[in-house]
Amino acid sequence: MRRKFCGAWATFEFLDDTCDVIRELRNLGFNKITTHTPCPRHEIEHALGNPQSRVPFFTLVGAMLGFGLAVLIITKMSLDWILPVSGKPVVSVPIMGPIAFELSVLMAIFFTAGAIALLIIRDTLRHAVPKSRKYREYNRFMRDRFGVVVACDENELPRIEQIMKRYEAEEVNCEK
Amino acid sequence: MSQLSYGHINDTVVQSMEPPGRSWLVSMVLILGALSMGVFAWTYQIRHGLEWSGINQSISWGIYITNFVFWIGIGHAGTLISAVLYLVRAPFRNSIYRASEAMTVFAVMTAGLFPIIHLGRAWFAYWLVPYPNQRMLWVNFKSPLLWDVFAISTYMSVSIAFFILGLIPDLAAVRDESKGVKRFFYRVASLGFRGTNHQWLHYMRGYLLFAAIATPLVFSVHSIVSWDFAMSSVPGWHSTIFAPYFVAGAIFSGCAMVLTIMIPLRKAFPGFSEIIQVKHLEGMGKMIVFTSLIVTYSYGVEFFTAYYSGARYEKALFWFRPFGEMKWFFWLMVFCNCLIPLSLFVKKIRTSIPALFVISILVNVGMWLERFNIVGTSLAHGFVPFAWSTYQFEWVEIWITIGSFGWFFMWFFIFVKIMPSIAVAEMKETLLPPFRKKR
Repeated sequence: MRRKFCGAWATFEFLDDTCDVIRELRNLGFNKITTHTPCPRHEIEHALGNPQSRVPFFTLVGAMLGFGLAVLIITKMSLDWILPVSGKPVVSVPIMGPIAFELSVLMAIFFTAGAIALLIIRDTLRHAVPKSRKYREYNRFMRDRFGVVVACDENELPRIEQIMKRYEAEEVNCEK
Repeated sequence: MSQLSYGHINDTVVQSMEPPGRSWLVSMVLILGALSMGVFAWTYQIRHGLEWSGINQSISWGIYITNFVFWIGIGHAGTLISAVLYLVRAPFRNSIYRASEAMTVFAVMTAGLFPIIHLGRAWFAYWLVPYPNQRMLWVNFKSPLLWDVFAISTYMSVSIAFFILGLIPDLAAVRDESKGVKRFFYRVASLGFRGTNHQWLHYMRGYLLFAAIATPLVFSVHSIVSWDFAMSSVPGWHSTIFAPYFVAGAIFSGCAMVLTIMIPLRKAFPGFSEIIQVKHLEGMGKMIVFTSLIVTYSYGVEFFTAYYSGARYEKALFWFRPFGEMKWFFWLMVFCNCLIPLSLFVKKIRTSIPALFVISILVNVGMWLERFNIVGTSLAHGFVPFAWSTYQFEWVEIWITIGSFGWFFMWFFIFVKIMPSIAVAEMKETLLPPFRKKR
């Protein structure tokens, strides 16, 4: 369940306004910020302090697991049903190469996809967003507008609203 | 590019997904006709046996394996464009990569049918997979054919995953522009994506890793396909250059197919000409001429090695290819793959859309012939003169081949109507974002 939201959200037409407002909010100590952009923008990442993703860790685990799985199944199956071919050893190391590579890639991809989903869900649950119908149905974030959502105490709302308006927000909505 | 805006890209893509018009429906009828004939021919082959395909005692791999290698090659361009060109940040990639990725998925789906068709008893295809069974009998891991099963199934899984991953933000963009049932469908398909920083952060890192992992996969898959041939001792197949030669050939044919598909797509949806610009198609033209030179060099190296090594069976085969009974396949291949692409050195031809379209079709024909030359002529002229033979095309395999094009285009035509065929978010990334302060 998502936590109750208290805070403000605003929409912006320009990217530089959005970045400026994020920087100011972070300088004032508001760190629970969620942004919306139609496409990934490095400017926003810089303004948010270049957060890092842990997806590569899962990719590595997947790749290693795939490699191990390939070695295991080839060894087990070759010993279970012995097929002498051209004088090669029953369990031949070179032949493991292609299959080990393919299974490493396959498992790495599955783990990466799983990690993307898992980490997005985790971060979304950690950062509460407005519950209002207006926010949920606002349909220009994936089109051409930038959005900033800030969670804060109720008494901070007028201050946040003022900051957002100073940076030419198109609309500011406070929710408690 | 400067007149494009974020909103304009959304509008153009959404417009392309409106209900189909007459030309789409007429094309679909033709496509389904071809597919039906292919299905009929396959059914006939299952009923009457593989003798109805052209394969015979010595040429036991015929059109089906040719088609398999051809379609796998086509499938390479999509991952090349989406992964390799993503890593090197090629500027002409963004407008064409979504359709190329779709092409990859559908081409691999088509390629995967041919080994099954070639088996004859298609219902035993699952024997290729190592699965626990009563007799504890496992597959032969020492066979490159089995490596191919792993390679193709991995490639297909990765291509589909990459394709779906790339689609998610764009489906979210389409969702926000839609109403009613359509909106519901895209809401489910976009998995709640709203472009938050948390979503983009993990998404982009994951996407980069997908690209990094898919890049060696592009090279490995066609290398393994080439080892189906190169690991045997048949003259014309047993060659160390096969892996790079096959990879270059796959990229060559795949890029040509991208042009064959993108040029009509650009014509069909007028707004696309602003997004898929001539310079993007020209970029593909440059890729074609570059890979054509590699392929031409490989042809030369094969002949030189056969001549200079003095290996008599190799020499005999490489004499048979250009001067034997099947010489027309060879010379037509040389014309389409080595001579025609050279015209792309001329900028005027490289930037002429009709010329690019014609060249791309000829390259496709040439690359099909290349695969037939490798498969057919090598087996036709093996070690024992007693077993030499030639290849007679049968109506069943011809219709199955035509049907495979029907199968491929059926999926592609459905795709352009229900999915964004231009990558919305990535196209927006290439634009200058809206700034209040002038930069």
